[in-house]
Amino acid sequence: MSHFRKFMWAVAAASMLLVPAAAPAQDAYPSRPITMIVPFPPGGVADQSGRPVAAALEKILKQPVVVTNRPGAGGAVGMAAAANAKPDGYTILMALSSISIIPEADKLFGRQPAYQMSQLAPVALVTADPTVLVVSADSPWKTVEDFVEDAKKRPGEISFSSSGVYGTLHMAMEMFAHAADIKLRHVPFSGGGPALTALLGNHVQALASGPGPVIPHIKAGKLRALASWGEKRLDALPDVPTFKELGYKDVEFYIWSGVFVPAGTPEPVMKVLRDAMRQVVEDPEFKSAMEKLQTPVVYMDAPEFQKFWDRDAAMLAAAVQRVGRIEEKKQ
Amino acid sequence: MTDTLSNLFLGFTVALSPDVLLFAVVGCIIGTLVGMLPGVGPLAGISLLLPVTFGLNPTTAIVLLAGIYYGAMYGGSTTSILMRIPGEAASVMTCIDGYAMTQRGRGGPALAIAAIGSFIAGTVSVVGLMLLAPPLAAVALRFGPPEYFALLTLGLLVLAFLTGGSMPKSLAMAALGLFLGTIGIDLMSGFFRFQYGLIELGDGIGIVPVAVGLFGISEILLTAGQETPPQVQKPKLRDLPPSREELRAAMGPVGRGTVLGFLIGIVPGSAHVISSFVSYALERRLSRHPERFGKGAVEGVAGPESANNAAACGSFVPMLSLGVPSGPIPAVMLAALMVHGIAPGPLLMQQQPELFWGFIASMYVGNLVLLILNLPLVGLFVNLLRIPYAYLYPAILVFCVLGVYSVNNSVIDVWIMTVMGALGYVLRKFDFEVAPIVLGLVLSPMLETALRQSLAMSSGSYAIFIDRPIAVGMLAVAAALFLVSFLPALKRGAGWRRTIGLET
Repeated sequence: MSHFRKFMWAVAAASMLLVPAAAPAQDAYPSRPITMIVPFPPGGVADQSGRPVAAALEKILKQPVVVTNRPGAGGAVGMAAAANAKPDGYTILMALSSISIIPEADKLFGRQPAYQMSQLAPVALVTADPTVLVVSADSPWKTVEDFVEDAKKRPGEISFSSSGVYGTLHMAMEMFAHAADIKLRHVPFSGGGPALTALLGNHVQALASGPGPVIPHIKAGKLRALASWGEKRLDALPDVPTFKELGYKDVEFYIWSGVFVPAGTPEPVMKVLRDAMRQVVEDPEFKSAMEKLQTPVVYMDAPEFQKFWDRDAAMLAAAVQRVGRIEEKKQ
Repeated sequence: MTDTLSNLFLGFTVALSPDVLLFAVVGCIIGTLVGMLPGVGPLAGISLLLPVTFGLNPTTAIVLLAGIYYGAMYGGSTTSILMRIPGEAASVMTCIDGYAMTQRGRGGPALAIAAIGSFIAGTVSVVGLMLLAPPLAAVALRFGPPEYFALLTLGLLVLAFLTGGSMPKSLAMAALGLFLGTIGIDLMSGFFRFQYGLIELGDGIGIVPVAVGLFGISEILLTAGQETPPQVQKPKLRDLPPSREELRAAMGPVGRGTVLGFLIGIVPGSAHVISSFVSYALERRLSRHPERFGKGAVEGVAGPESANNAAACGSFVPMLSLGVPSGPIPAVMLAALMVHGIAPGPLLMQQQPELFWGFIASMYVGNLVLLILNLPLVGLFVNLLRIPYAYLYPAILVFCVLGVYSVNNSVIDVWIMTVMGALGYVLRKFDFEVAPIVLGLVLSPMLETALRQSLAMSSGSYAIFIDRPIAVGMLAVAAALFLVSFLPALKRGAGWRRTIGLET
């Protein structure tokens, strides 16, 4: 018995360590630390733009902004956590374009959606990076025209890698393939890194990727960029045309990141956050951090961002629908 | 060669400059402490501390992270050996014989051998990394999905040699592990499998909560269930250093583990975790007394621990020479570099020689610091065992919960750990070995993905495995191994049922 009692005492003592300090009473927002949910692991794109935003917000709001990584199920876990959080402004979300894909894919498979897009309200767009179509430097394709011509000759034989099925990199490629009316072979990987490794090893022939990871390989002469999905050419790749220039007028795609709050967050709180985000993008430390990441800051305030998001979500929804349920298709 | 030497000299001037050296030491200490937290292995440790490095300059940041990485590896073996709690998948095999050694009062030598083995493996692999990185990296890139599949098939065959108990029981456990590995999003179709409405299961069942539950929690439950409480150990000073026989027994496994681990580590992907399993199986197979494995064989600690460290080092080969994220840990390291405005890529070595060679040199320094730090600490750690179980075990439980939760901030992970603890308890009561479950869980998603990616590449034609020389070579070795393992059974005719444990 004495053993058992000792055990219980020790459990009680140890669990005392876990009791959080009582929260102070409510005051003008923000009166206590804010949690920023990043639904991806540390080191990913969302984390890399989330942390500088959090650091700048901290200075502006005079409250700690704690970044919490809640990875899982391609971001669905963290986004659902934010969508279902109390709408009081103390939980904010740093999300990527995939926020619009997950509910669509859930719908496609007829499963209980992890969250609805209507459960989240946009605060500010922070970055938007167009994807770039890259092929091996040893490949015969010098232009998009070469690529499309070859793909038409042998449908379904040119393969591309992606960050995962219905992932952003898959969707970008799907948009281009649809517009060019070509059939490509899809080999999904788990994440942009392994997808790039597969292209570098010549296991696949093409990849749509964010510019950051591929630019060093383009400069080193291992990869060739054929086109970008942006509205205008990338500063880092001035010779690479956009799909729009090449006549694919609907082929426009960005990997973007933005700050969201749970829907129903009171208007005064929203205003504080929107004003704060406006100052964040002007913050010199934030700017230099984003410059180092070679990620252009593209700021949009809530109303504008909402429009951008609606358009993007509709485009992605259409792409997801076109891809359809994978296992129903005959390869 | 002279180039390499002068570059290395440059590296050491960077690594030994006071501030960089300070960060290497600080990284090693933080890493050791983080690694001691049950469930928090090197990956979690680095990820959690990544933000801390954002304010540093790139060289110190990468040196600090490398220190944390190595430190966490060393620290992880401490909890595996003393408390049977693996910090990550790679230290699962260390739990088995390491903990058995602790129970026999040889915890000190086990820790010392793990530290020495890791040091040798780490140092030798850095030499390999330094001299062979560019040519090896080119080979590493040739590993696409079909080659990966062949490699993992070899890993699967290792199962047969992993445990000494009954073969059907081991295979049943491996099958359970393989099944658990199918939970989560199907990578090829986006379909959720066996998630029962829990989106947290979307990424599958994490290896860490399973390993901590099956090994650590079940051990605590088993101890609590004993009629008489186990004697608290009182380690004596003269029992701390390994004996001459133990050191001699460890040397072969350390050497083989180093080579094996380094080669497996180079392959891009997460295959490096299988290096410790393969090394353990190899040592058990080569040993003249395989029955000692599982009961505190020195080789069972020395081999896997060395393989594990060498693999970690090998995984830097593609990262540093090509800038490809060759595994989860190098991916986080690359992210850290990107935060500092350094674009990792094939030109890293030319554009950032100070960073590259400073990093290499700091790996030598870090390994040495850890050896110096850890050998004296062995005495301190072993004394943790003096704490009466009534206090030690609840504390361990609390730290297990904290550690497992902190990896993904997920309560579901804590539940998985709890369920696996109970499952491990029941299985071990019935004399099932739990290590094959972990190996199955590690292998199954990788194996499935590689197979299906290969078939996606070839549009469904299995000829892809025959057309590619590396893949067909490895598959041939696998087939040969499979047949060889049946040879003795065939020779002995009717007695085969007994030899594979169907009748005992």
